[in-house]
Amino acid sequence: MSDATHKPGLSPDEMRTLASVLDEIIPPSGDGRLPGAGQLGIAGYIDAALRKTAELKSMIAQGLADLDNLARQRNALGFAALSREDKLRLLNEQAFVLPLTFHTYIGYYQNAQVVAALGLQPRPPHPQGYEMKPNDLTLLKEVRRRAKRYREYRCICE
Amino acid sequence: MAEEPVDVLIIGAGASGAAFAWSLAETRMNILCLEQGDWMNPESYPGMRMDWEASQLGDFALSPNARGRREDYPVNDSASPIQASMFNAVGGSTIMYAAHFPRFHPSDFRVKTLDGVADDWPIDYQRLAPFYDVNAHMMGVSGLAGDPMYPPKAVPLPPVALGKLGETLAKGFNRLGWHWWPSDSAITTQEHEGRAPCINAGTCLLGCAQGAKASTDITYWPPALRQGVTLKTRCRVREITVGDNGMADGVIYYDADGVERRQQAHVVVLACNGIGTPRLLLNSKSKHFPGGLANRSGLIGKNLMFHPYAMVTGIFDEPLEGYKGPTGCCIMSQEFYETDRARGFLRGYSFEIVRSFGPVSTAMRGMQWGRVPWGAAHHRAFAELFDHTAGMVGICEDLPEPGNCVTLDPDLKDSDGIPAPKVTYRLSENSNKMLAHCVARATEVLEAAGAKETVTEAPLPFAGWHLMGTARMGTDPQRSVVNEWGRCHDVRNLFIIDGSIFVTAAGVNPTNTIQALALYIADTIKKNLANLFD
Repeated sequence: MSDATHKPGLSPDEMRTLASVLDEIIPPSGDGRLPGAGQLGIAGYIDAALRKTAELKSMIAQGLADLDNLARQRNALGFAALSREDKLRLLNEQAFVLPLTFHTYIGYYQNAQVVAALGLQPRPPHPQGYEMKPNDLTLLKEVRRRAKRYREYRCICE
Repeated sequence: MAEEPVDVLIIGAGASGAAFAWSLAETRMNILCLEQGDWMNPESYPGMRMDWEASQLGDFALSPNARGRREDYPVNDSASPIQASMFNAVGGSTIMYAAHFPRFHPSDFRVKTLDGVADDWPIDYQRLAPFYDVNAHMMGVSGLAGDPMYPPKAVPLPPVALGKLGETLAKGFNRLGWHWWPSDSAITTQEHEGRAPCINAGTCLLGCAQGAKASTDITYWPPALRQGVTLKTRCRVREITVGDNGMADGVIYYDADGVERRQQAHVVVLACNGIGTPRLLLNSKSKHFPGGLANRSGLIGKNLMFHPYAMVTGIFDEPLEGYKGPTGCCIMSQEFYETDRARGFLRGYSFEIVRSFGPVSTAMRGMQWGRVPWGAAHHRAFAELFDHTAGMVGICEDLPEPGNCVTLDPDLKDSDGIPAPKVTYRLSENSNKMLAHCVARATEVLEAAGAKETVTEAPLPFAGWHLMGTARMGTDPQRSVVNEWGRCHDVRNLFIIDGSIFVTAAGVNPTNTIQALALYIADTIKKNLANLFD
């Protein structure tokens, strides 16, 4: 059995660019309640996820390298050092952003810090579960008043 | 190497195989069940982990093709707009079903007589009613007596929590004057037969670590094993063999180590679901049955029925706490269940109110709907959806058509090299009209309940949960595969007890009826032991 953690991940340069990209995919919220995905360290989650899928890892690693090269060609700066507008302009040209967004959403929204910031308890659903209020079955008053609605039919072949 | 013959060999330990084994156990016959999957460990279910939602894309994906577990077999469903969903383990697909547990209606057994389409069943509601009652106790069904859409019936436990979401939708139905009722659910809401009550974790489709959701590994199997039934796991049957007399005489299977083995049996019982059963029969060719076992009618694999699903999600201003509560069980409506020809289609559908999503699924679905972009607008768009949605699914009655079928794929094989099934399926004009009606009415309800916007998905592509009709029941051997108590017309010691034998699909989830049928067939066998093969 192959162990994904032993497969090569992204390089340090790619991880730096990735963190910067992630902060554009999910930036910090305006009220400061929710962190940016890069700032939160979701790059580590993405790196681990990509080790399991060689094809996607290759696509995203290549995309990150191209992004950085393009930034240097156009602006003489690495992607992480660009202005927000320049970053967005470049990212909007990249096909790898869509699958990266998919994985970013998964990593971000299962993170305990984010879950807590959304107002939920930062824990798995089991074993505690959730309290719910008792049912208000008086809502059925009108339905109960109605006559039976099913068609009765017996087998005639017996 | 041939093993000692058993009296009864059951293939498949899911919904029907478990109920059947439990019922037949009292005979003290030598009963063996072979299951290609393994026992599940509830402590390892995804709901115990922070990444529980992501498991829907991996080890708990609906499609066996996406999961790719050794225990599963692949299904070529590229020629179908609806993907087949199933799970292979002790408990079968009850491990990951929603446990929505309605019964069929009396009219569902008389479709030809009442509405002039498809065929009547050779049995009726009254025949199955006592077995529905037994099943309600064994599975631990919650709900509320008095539903005007049904004859009086046993509901042992009080209904699941409706929550703010359910009551909001109930008010929408009330504003329109339409039927709704708390769902019959195979989910314990109180202590029941050693099972703890539901804790509203919202992870039903990923296995229930609480044990409140009724999967047959925790309901029927423990007492069946205590009564002496033998269950062997990780044993995948390749074919059913036939003796010189044309009767089934056993099976050839691969054990957990991939070693080919032979098991002889006096009676063979198929409980492999509406795709697995025709697959195995078509893989069981012999000189007596060159077109597949018990297939002289040519109907094995034909008339596959799914339930075409429509899903309409309402987006509300106020939070609904929809991440709490049983995922698929809340309230249901059968306002449009019985045929009304003025609607432009025959038969009808049920509405089921489903809960909303956790954070990951909200983001994923929002992305899929084009409503949760990346970038500066992300947080606001996410906040508009998270905990602000309520879903309605319409479960439409499918009608049998020979062109909708299960065959053997010429190339695709499982991990033991056994040919895999191929599904060919299209939606009929009747289904398309029903789906359109269902979407329009669901939108009305959601708006009446206060939704400011709705999102529609129809047909729901991943919703091939219900697999029916591929070895239908009937009295005419030319037009059916099994008789009125599940015995194959062509092979008198071969029984089929799963959804394959459904004549029609009704407009409700089938598991309760699959199990009631399995219990009824077991009961009939017990009553006819002296002349079972006559």
